Amino acid sequence: MKNIIIISWYTLREAFARKVFIFFAAISVIFLIGLAVVFSLVNTDSILSSMNPAGDKLVLEQVISQIQLVITAPLSNLCLLLAIFSSASFIPIMLEKGNIDLLLSKPISRTQLLLGKYVGATLVVFINIVFLILGAWIIISLKFSYWNFNFPLVTLVITFTFAVLYSVVVLFGILFKSSVPGMMTAYFIFLILSPALHFVKLQLQTLTGKEVFKSMVDSLYYFIPKTSELMGTINSNIGQGKAIGDIQPVLSSFLFLILTIFFCDYILRKKDF
Amino acid sequence: MNAIEVINISKTYTSSFRKNKVDALVNLDLSVPAGSIFGLLGPNGAGKTTLIKILLSICFPNSGTAKILNEDTRNYKLKYRIGYLPENHKFPSYLSGGEALKYFGKLSGLNGVQLDKKIDELLELVKMTQWKKLKVKGYSKGMMQRLGIAQALINDPELILLDEPTDGVDPIGRKEIRDILADLKTKNKTVFLNSHLLSEVEMVSDRVAILNKGILIREGTVKELTEKKHEYLLELENKIDDEVYFNLASQVNFAQIKDEHYTALVTDIVELNKLIDTLRAKNISIKEIIQKKSSLEEMFISLINEADKKNNV
Repeated sequence: MKNIIIISWYTLREAFARKVFIFFAAISVIFLIGLAVVFSLVNTDSILSSMNPAGDKLVLEQVISQIQLVITAPLSNLCLLLAIFSSASFIPIMLEKGNIDLLLSKPISRTQLLLGKYVGATLVVFINIVFLILGAWIIISLKFSYWNFNFPLVTLVITFTFAVLYSVVVLFGILFKSSVPGMMTAYFIFLILSPALHFVKLQLQTLTGKEVFKSMVDSLYYFIPKTSELMGTINSNIGQGKAIGDIQPVLSSFLFLILTIFFCDYILRKKDF
Repeated sequence: MNAIEVINISKTYTSSFRKNKVDALVNLDLSVPAGSIFGLLGPNGAGKTTLIKILLSICFPNSGTAKILNEDTRNYKLKYRIGYLPENHKFPSYLSGGEALKYFGKLSGLNGVQLDKKIDELLELVKMTQWKKLKVKGYSKGMMQRLGIAQALINDPELILLDEPTDGVDPIGRKEIRDILADLKTKNKTVFLNSHLLSEVEMVSDRVAILNKGILIREGTVKELTEKKHEYLLELENKIDDEVYFNLASQVNFAQIKDEHYTALVTDIVELNKLIDTLRAKNISIKEIIQKKSSLEEMFISLINEADKKNNV
């Protein structure tokens, strides 16, 4: 455990040295300043009263929660893409000749190395997402004088989604000692495959065609991490303090993460450097 | 006791899609006595670095076993007792020299005041104290090498594996590294040295092994490897008369090198004694007889050429 903590801590330092934090912080600060400026110019009271003419407190809270999600959702997605981009090289750099020799000459197992890097990169992303989400939450809450304490929990969902996609980046990083294949695969899953499978799954009952095709799509749907649902419905429900609803996307994505990390570990333990 | 025992190890590297195969090590047996400085020599691609990597489980053999300090090399906890300087090592560029040592010290199980003290001691030893706070990315090759040696010694290891330790180091630095190795030997540490610099190895090593294309072609002490068994240098009191000289030269392989210095190539010790008897019978006074030695470099080149010729046949 101690070795995992050491590697994670030095991954944070590496991210700091590579300006990952500054880069994320700059984007977050620009967004937060923009948000504050927009709120100072817009009369939100009139907007709220038009959306909730009866002035029902419960409806008002729901409207504010929706506004929080509408504002932060696109940026969360952008942050996720940037997070994958900025953390994709951690594993290939670690596996470079000269680096890995030094690390493996120390009393640390390959599993500890892998988990240390993985946890470290996930922590880097978590810290950056917390900064952005908490900043947006504070500004919106101050403006509307309503503190939705469920909203900060979306940081956990975004970080979990990152962790799932990052396991793919790590796997390809170990296989090819390069960041590009993993990054492209993670983007493909996040931007195309998961939304497409989600859509097809919803339409599956109404689709006409061969049963074999339907079964294949169904199997693929359950195998591929459900980032579309995680960043969509589940993120929204948690942000609004509602029940998650269907837990299947979380569980199957978590299972995918665990299996991928196990596979990464298996390959890493067999690999010659 | 042996610090390293390699038993029948073979390693073949296979390229992508298994098109090309390279035998890095072929049925290698090797023992390194504890408390000695052992030099491993060989041309590029001989399998020297592969052997070290197998010993550290950085790569794995196709067959055979290896033991370090009487333990299976696959046990990673064994590395608490080992120090390693890889060839062309890279430290995290965002760390300073002191921070890099702290990082690897922590991974070696050290911490707190004990680690800080050790870092200062080692930086002093490798003459890097003044560069402690400079980022590693600003270091020259020689400085990186010195820091690498400090890193290899951070856990006060029983066995130190050094791959080209003097690579990129100036002559004064090389002398300092040799002194460090000699000091380690006095502390009963075992040093396993990979180097292209044969003169360096000759100066510090107790035993030497020569690898070529993954095969061990010779092993022994530097003395054993460099002495020419039947060739002697003779220094006489005076130059021999021409008549006596030609007479001797017709009986044995005897030749004048310069003035009173002669060389004799004999078949065995009996023939050498006969030569001495003949000289003494003619009242020629012998000042010194020395068995001729070749330098490690000469011996190395001749062995490698010999091995290559055999392979070509």
